[in-house]
Amino acid sequence: MAKIIKHQYFFAHPIETVWEYLTNSELMGQWLMKNNFEPVLGHEFQFRTGGKANLNFDGIFYCKVLDIEPLKTLSYSWNCGPGEGQITLKSVVTWQLESKDNGTEVTLDHRGFDKAENLDMYHGLMHGWLEKFTNIDKLLQAGAHGHTNS
Amino acid sequence: MAIPTLDTFQVIGDPSRRKMLLLLSEDSLTINSLADNFDMSRPAVSKHVKILETAGFISIQDMGRERYCTLKKDGFEELQAWLNYFDQFWTSKLKKLETLLNNKLPN
Repeated sequence: MAKIIKHQYFFAHPIETVWEYLTNSELMGQWLMKNNFEPVLGHEFQFRTGGKANLNFDGIFYCKVLDIEPLKTLSYSWNCGPGEGQITLKSVVTWQLESKDNGTEVTLDHRGFDKAENLDMYHGLMHGWLEKFTNIDKLLQAGAHGHTNS
Repeated sequence: MAIPTLDTFQVIGDPSRRKMLLLLSEDSLTINSLADNFDMSRPAVSKHVKILETAGFISIQDMGRERYCTLKKDGFEELQAWLNYFDQFWTSKLKKLETLLNNKLPN
């Protein structure tokens, strides 16, 4: 189970054009979400979309530009919660661009969901579950074959 | 004592509750033996246990006079739901961006 979301995508367009679509507020609104982004380090902005009740989400991503290097990299925090300023999910989105023959390779990395330790624990526990199931399976097998612990 | 309804991330955001889950990942425990691992009052332990139960991280079974806590998968699956949600989210947004770029009038 991944705790980092990674996507690599090739666009048959020049790097300048792709960068424009990743960093121009109005263009971002056309493919991502309505926003008040500005390509300025430390700028705080929001993406607005519909809420997802089952995920405790009020429909707003609270973001801040953490890193920006034109035509190369863009990183922003990506936090959300159930509303009233409560933040229950914290993560970071990072875009990296690279010029290739006939186009641009874009890498998107979305990670740091809330506290990594939460997910680490989660993975540890899931592993624990698997072990438990294996143990049960072993016991059942042993039972089926009439083995005794001697 | 009123039990607040917390979402998954608030539930495991608390170090005591995380420790409880880790202890329970070793073995099912009674609320009493769970409480032995903590420097807090029994009502405080019970409250944490209730919160974990409400969020689907554990189930509580009465056996005779003892109440046993056992891990449950439901709570953990909600964490994974967010990851899956964003994974699909980005896939569809990137496709949308590509369509937009490809339909762009040359200028």
